[in-house]
Amino acid sequence: MRSVLVASLRTHTRRYVAALVAVTIAVGFVVVTNALASATKAGLAAGVGDTYRGDLVVGDPFGVPEADVDRTLGLAARSGDAADVIGTSWQPVRAGDRSLGDDVALGTVSTDPALMHQTITSGRAPRSDGEALMTTSAAKAAGVGLGDALQIGADDEAVTVHVVGLAAGTSYYESDLYVPWATLDRLPDATPDAVVYDVRGSESLDTRAAQLEELAEAAVSMRADYVDQRLQMVNSGVDVISYLLLLFAAIAGFVAVLVIANTFTILFAQRTRDLALLRCVGATRRQILRSVRVESLTLAVVAAATGIVAGAGAGYGITAIVRAFAGADRIGSVNLSPTWLVAAFGGGLLATLAAAWWPTRSVVRVSPLAALRPPQPVGVGDPAGRFRIALGIVTAAAGAGLLAIASSTHSMPVLMLGGMVSFVGVLLLGPVIVPAMLRLAGLLLGPIGLAPRIAAANAVRNPRRSAATTASLLVGVTLTTAVLTGMASARDAIGSDMDAEHPIDAALTGTTRIPDTLVERVAATRDVIRTVTVDGVPAHLPDSDEPLTVLAPDRAARSLAHDPRVLEARDGEVLVPPDAVAAFPDGVPPRIDLIVDGRTTKLDARLVSSDWGRAMIVSPATLGRLDGDLAPLAVWSGVASGTDADELGGDLRLIVAGTDLDLTNAVKDRGWVEQQLGILVWAVLGMLGVGVAIALVGIANTIGLSVLERGREHALLRALGLTRRQLRRLLATEGLLLAATAAVLGTALGATYGWLGTVTIVRTAVADAPVVIPWAQLGAVALVAALAGLLACVVPARRAAQVAPAAGLTVD
Amino acid sequence: MTTTTFQTTSTAASARGLVKTYGRGAAAVHALAGVDVDVAPGRFTAIMGPSGSGKSTLLHCLAGLDQPTDGSVVVDGVELAGLDDDALTRFRRDRLGFVFQAFNLLPMLTARQNIVLPLELAGRRVDEAARVRIDEVVDVLGLSDRLDHRPGELSGGQQQRVAIARALVADAAIVFADEPTGNLDSTASTEVLSFLRRSVRELGRTVVMVTHELDAAAYADDVIVLADGRVRAHLTAPSHDELVAELQAGVR
Repeated sequence: MRSVLVASLRTHTRRYVAALVAVTIAVGFVVVTNALASATKAGLAAGVGDTYRGDLVVGDPFGVPEADVDRTLGLAARSGDAADVIGTSWQPVRAGDRSLGDDVALGTVSTDPALMHQTITSGRAPRSDGEALMTTSAAKAAGVGLGDALQIGADDEAVTVHVVGLAAGTSYYESDLYVPWATLDRLPDATPDAVVYDVRGSESLDTRAAQLEELAEAAVSMRADYVDQRLQMVNSGVDVISYLLLLFAAIAGFVAVLVIANTFTILFAQRTRDLALLRCVGATRRQILRSVRVESLTLAVVAAATGIVAGAGAGYGITAIVRAFAGADRIGSVNLSPTWLVAAFGGGLLATLAAAWWPTRSVVRVSPLAALRPPQPVGVGDPAGRFRIALGIVTAAAGAGLLAIASSTHSMPVLMLGGMVSFVGVLLLGPVIVPAMLRLAGLLLGPIGLAPRIAAANAVRNPRRSAATTASLLVGVTLTTAVLTGMASARDAIGSDMDAEHPIDAALTGTTRIPDTLVERVAATRDVIRTVTVDGVPAHLPDSDEPLTVLAPDRAARSLAHDPRVLEARDGEVLVPPDAVAAFPDGVPPRIDLIVDGRTTKLDARLVSSDWGRAMIVSPATLGRLDGDLAPLAVWSGVASGTDADELGGDLRLIVAGTDLDLTNAVKDRGWVEQQLGILVWAVLGMLGVGVAIALVGIANTIGLSVLERGREHALLRALGLTRRQLRRLLATEGLLLAATAAVLGTALGATYGWLGTVTIVRTAVADAPVVIPWAQLGAVALVAALAGLLACVVPARRAAQVAPAAGLTVD
Repeated sequence: MTTTTFQTTSTAASARGLVKTYGRGAAAVHALAGVDVDVAPGRFTAIMGPSGSGKSTLLHCLAGLDQPTDGSVVVDGVELAGLDDDALTRFRRDRLGFVFQAFNLLPMLTARQNIVLPLELAGRRVDEAARVRIDEVVDVLGLSDRLDHRPGELSGGQQQRVAIARALVADAAIVFADEPTGNLDSTASTEVLSFLRRSVRELGRTVVMVTHELDAAAYADDVIVLADGRVRAHLTAPSHDELVAELQAGVR
């Protein structure tokens, strides 16, 4: 059968292209993931190794206690060794009148040359407290040059440093500004991560290490060991992402399997006559089966190999591009892992063989008589066997049951399992569901013209084929819709949560009357759209003189809030936000005494998590009871959406400089969360895009092949009077109908899964989170799906219309 | 495996009580309703009858392409009923040849590859003897300059000749032809029919041909006439008039 096999492969190469592309994409995806991960790890390894100098490191995986820092530095000073701290902080930084940002990342640079890890690009390294190093990119962005002075920290605690040098960027512990530990320590919230220790004196390494171990609570490690440990931690972070990406590769693989199974089914249906003739002339079932299996094996090997090569190429390419943009110090070179490559190859091979297995089995059922019948039109395909339907119902029901359990027990693994099982059930029932929907579509659209009716009838003729065509797009649409729905609900829930937690965008709180000029300056700040003052009285607690702010926001002030309800206090009650808790050294009691102008009033205290600054809030009636000198003690502002939190913070900080006002910038927190969610959604969609791309390839393929099959019919229609354009439109309608069916079904399924996901997962974090259906996004997805179906038809339709009627009608 | 019931080889193929029914109950179609027939070896037999008479079904059963509902078929000394699919397939490969009305050849193979297909399926190498046979047959059938063409590049008549060549090269004991001239014009038909008769006369093969054309049947030695799933007449070397009379007798 070798001549048959070889001739087959050569003749049908074009028809295998889609299957080839599908496997290549899936396998390539895995290889690219490995390439990028290895390059990232290489970059990080270089960075980690560089950062820790010296002989020993004192520190635990998650940091080092302050006490240990002092003790270690003390020992080094006494013994003539060198030691320095690796630490970080986030502080507002100003260059004179210009704000560099509210949350600039600060790191440490050692004044000891042996322990300094930064690479100086211009200027020199800091030699003492008060000198600083800035990364070249940060300096350029901020317009700061050598010799410039910077003020770090909140106004009353600001520290001035001079930039004496610029440094290159790094992939690990990158900061914008590096200062010696002595400088950083003066700032609030400086976090030491580890202490590096270089033995210089006459004692041996082990002795010193033992001494340190006595002194320090944290672990003392050899430098190499510490670096390894850190590297492992960092790498496992990269690994987590890699494995997550593998999940998407698996989805892409699943879709590829569908495409391949479909391709083979159609191909063998088309080759029925060839196979029947072979059986006539004397090929046994086994011979045919073997020949067909070898064909699929050849395809599998070629496809998997192409995937590896393409993936490797893409991996190297993308890394090179990233390196060109971000710099060679941030990402290393690709180092493909043989394990991954073998696994990817094997996976691709297995997926192709598995997908081809069932269709090749049906090949043996071809009876020799099939060669004797006149060329059949693609048969009125038998509807799905009863077994398949039964299995489908059972599976779908089982899946639904699992989903119900998951939603009541809030279990994520059960949810995923239930989702997959129920979806498989739906796929199995495809040959029943899809034709039914198509028939409905035909009925609904029939009045428009002949084309929809014929198109629907055509698609219904072969239920299995139609179901298979829509299957791959269905997977893509369902997944995308489910993710979008879940994300929208999560975002909404988080949003309402955020509204309650951060009701005011920006709040300046004080204990004395706020001058009008200041209020005007706030109102005039860029991006601020509304400003109100809030009246209140200063009060203090029985045991202290420290003035506290007590406010009673009026309706105007409350209307500024994202969630006005959190600002409402009951009469006789006082709301205590987190920032105010610091005033109660022994904790907040259930009833507190507030002293205003010498008079004591007892109020019920309610702790709230909303953060509007350090003021305590009471109702206007209660404020009346307190009977103090009412004055505007706080300024609240609402900002435009899309405001840069850092810039706003910087601008407002300039305004409060020199006053005792306390600034709360909620835009930062809200903005960060929104940004992360946004990134997450796009990343997920991007990953899903791979699966969807494969699905589209599958659709184009199926439609192309089925159009080829119906050559005689189309020729007949043309002979009877259908013009070329009408034929093209007919085929386009068919593709559109199939894609639309997949889109509608997929949207319905996906929204359901998204709803269940919300109930199961989001509601554990945010009770009673409403299910939000992002109609606009879902509509966009459905539109893209429908257009994809249409696009898939364009080339096959054109080709079908080109054939002259006579050519198409002649007997083979 | 092959069970052979040895019978006299005075018939190339014979059927006893052959019944073939499709469907069930009220929708049942009795394609063959009890056919007894003997096909003589070394002769050109035509099977004729109006459409629906079961002539194609009879051919399929005789050729081992279909299993009868009841009855027995013995071909070239072998009882077909007892054979499993593999054995039946090998039997077809080694002993029988086929020429169909259309679609005889695998479209992706050349004429030469199509001709040696049975040999390749049997895993037999094209040895010297086979090569001589191929050259002879190809020469006689006038295909020498068409061997490397694909079926798409051959005319209808040429395709039929390649099919005949395939049967002859495989040394088939019986060649079953199903309406071989149905798609051909008169010149090509004449050619194909002459070749079939020559293979009987000159090469001693047995040919069984189903046809509805009187002119084609004229080439045959014997004619079996079927009507309503039964043999109505088995004529040995009939004259043209006898044949016409017999066929018209069915039309009342």
